[in-house]
Amino acid sequence: MSEKVRVGFYALTSCYGCQLQMAMMDEILHLLDKVGIECWFMVERNSEEDREVDIAFIEGSVSTQEEIELVKKIREKAKIVIAVGSCAIHGGVQSWDKDKEFNELWKTVYGDAHVKFEPKMAEPVEKYIKVDYKLYGCPPEKKDFLYALGTLLIGSWPEDIDYPVCVECRLRGNPCILIEKGEPCLGPITTAGCDARCPSYGIPCIGCRGAVKDVAWFDSLALEFKRKGLTKEEILERVKIFNAYNPKLEEMVNKIFKEGE
Amino acid sequence: MYINGVIELRYVKLPKENTYEFLERLKEWGVLYAPVKISEKFYDFREIDDVRKIEFKYNRTIMPPKKFFFLPKEKIFEFSISKAEYNEVIENVEPFIVFGVHACDIFGLKIMDTIYLDELPDKYYKVRREKGIIIGISCVPDEYCFCNLRETDFADDGFDLFLHELPDGWLVRVGTPKGHRIVDKNIKLFEEVTTQDVCEFREFENKKHQMFKYHEDWGNLRYLLEMEMEHPMWDEQSELCLACGNCNLTCPTCRCYEVQDIPNLDGDTGVRIRRWDSCQLRSHGLVAGNHNFRPTKKSRFMNRYLCKNSYNEKLGISYCVGCGRCTYFCPAEISFVENLRTILGVKDNSCPPEVAEEMPKRGFAYSSSMGGEE
Ligand code: SF4
Ligand code: SF4
Ligand code: SF4
Ligand code: SF4
Ligand code: SF4
Repeated sequence: MSEKVRVGFYALTSCYGCQLQMAMMDEILHLLDKVGIECWFMVERNSEEDREVDIAFIEGSVSTQEEIELVKKIREKAKIVIAVGSCAIHGGVQSWDKDKEFNELWKTVYGDAHVKFEPKMAEPVEKYIKVDYKLYGCPPEKKDFLYALGTLLIGSWPEDIDYPVCVECRLRGNPCILIEKGEPCLGPITTAGCDARCPSYGIPCIGCRGAVKDVAWFDSLALEFKRKGLTKEEILERVKIFNAYNPKLEEMVNKIFKEGE
Repeated sequence: MYINGVIELRYVKLPKENTYEFLERLKEWGVLYAPVKISEKFYDFREIDDVRKIEFKYNRTIMPPKKFFFLPKEKIFEFSISKAEYNEVIENVEPFIVFGVHACDIFGLKIMDTIYLDELPDKYYKVRREKGIIIGISCVPDEYCFCNLRETDFADDGFDLFLHELPDGWLVRVGTPKGHRIVDKNIKLFEEVTTQDVCEFREFENKKHQMFKYHEDWGNLRYLLEMEMEHPMWDEQSELCLACGNCNLTCPTCRCYEVQDIPNLDGDTGVRIRRWDSCQLRSHGLVAGNHNFRPTKKSRFMNRYLCKNSYNEKLGISYCVGCGRCTYFCPAEISFVENLRTILGVKDNSCPPEVAEEMPKRGFAYSSSMGGEE
């Protein structure tokens, strides 16, 4: 490749943990002769959001009117849009209580403080623009970032991860804390890639990488949790931490509690 | 020792008090792995430092012993796009011992061999299989075991040594020339087998046989599975399934793997890796053009039942060796055995339990011209 691949990294409402994770990678240095950074305020002072790019990485949830405009602009200027992290992909933890009144949530966090922007409920980027690829996680794994970039650099397309955390948990040889201790582990419905980090420490997965696309069986897991003594509210509360926008969640969990009650 | 190509059969006794000494000496042959407790209830094969940590009476390990030969995840080659070449990454494997393998798992390895050694040998599997010493150990079944129905409850080959529990030690069957060498090198630790020991061995085997939960005929299971595709069990049970893959990933005979190419950032080189796969995952049936030949959770659920109960022609047994892992380690508490029994009709009968008296005997088998005589 003679011409440099132009990339941009844009932040919406988030903790900046995703871009920090990426900016801290030593491997970034290998990229400098292949990649031109058009916009990435964290690492490049000479950044501009208006430039055309080949790959746009977007972090954060869409939480203000300005951000709606920004993502639309990014989409227009970018060939490939990659949503980075749980905020951009699923709306993030800030969407946990999305079914509550927005004003109520606002008051809880900011009280009567005045802000210069027009706030709204946090939403996933995909709600406004087409997203071509996703780097799951809170924050995403370094290796997933390298894999996606490496694959795009050879002109191929990276594979999506469509299997659950349990697979990696088994490959690592962990015991299963859901079976053994009845812990409410969300591994069976959560997108793999973290190498089952939490269960490996004996901590149940809270689903930070989001539910596996189309094959998250919330109903079957709810049934198993119900057998272990969890209530519907407890289950929904837990699964919603990172999946509040999942269109199937509530319906599938409700089904289980309607059936057996 | 081979005599006319036949291995000389040999049985020796390892007295109880020499057990740990023997295990310690095994380390001279390579890295020692054996079952240990890894959590409150579960066991796994792990590298052994202190031989006193070894569990002789474990029910089943969460990872099957195939993990030593067919690695859960491994690099298979490195590639360069500009040079249009690839180099296989075959590790230099040091000898190792897997101690404490149950009979069903030995059959599991024999099944893996038919796939990964016979015909087109898998290099990665082969180097490890050649370096691995297998030492079996006798066991008694728990409620999840059904190896008796799979005829895998007693292994008479597929190991270098096999230790059968006696009240005061172990009756050791030597299975390979390497097994002979291990015994010879430690001959002072062994004794001759007495008539009393043989009686004890018989007693153990009899008791073990009686302990199995199921004593029934599974002879026509394969037929019935194929004919009962519309049985309500499939819908009911696949509904419960989480599609987590645990059943495949703990199974000693699941052999599917997934490959992935991971390019480096230089836009040229990279590695291909493979990892254990599961047919309960959507991508297992995904082919070019985004077509999936097992598009539903139910079809994937059924696939495992059919695959595991198909027949390994070389060994004359089914691919399922009855170890019970897929039930024991299923987070959704789905019982593979009970589901098979439902299909068999030994649980809830889908047909009248007995053949009616008035069943018309009209088939060709009853015609008087059959069999020549008469
Ligand atoms: S501990 Fe959690 S992630 Fe691991 S196998 Fe069990 S349910 Fe799955
Ligand atoms: S185990 Fe679950 S909560 Fe932990 S890092 Fe992985 S996806 Fe996130
Ligand atoms: S272990 Fe159980 S829940 Fe998981 S895929 Fe297998 S049958 Fe389904
Ligand atoms: S198809 Fe499924 S059941 Fe058969 S070997 Fe592969 S993973 Fe195991
Ligand atoms: S199918 Fe289940 S019982 Fe049979 S060998 Fe595999 S894990 Fe064991």
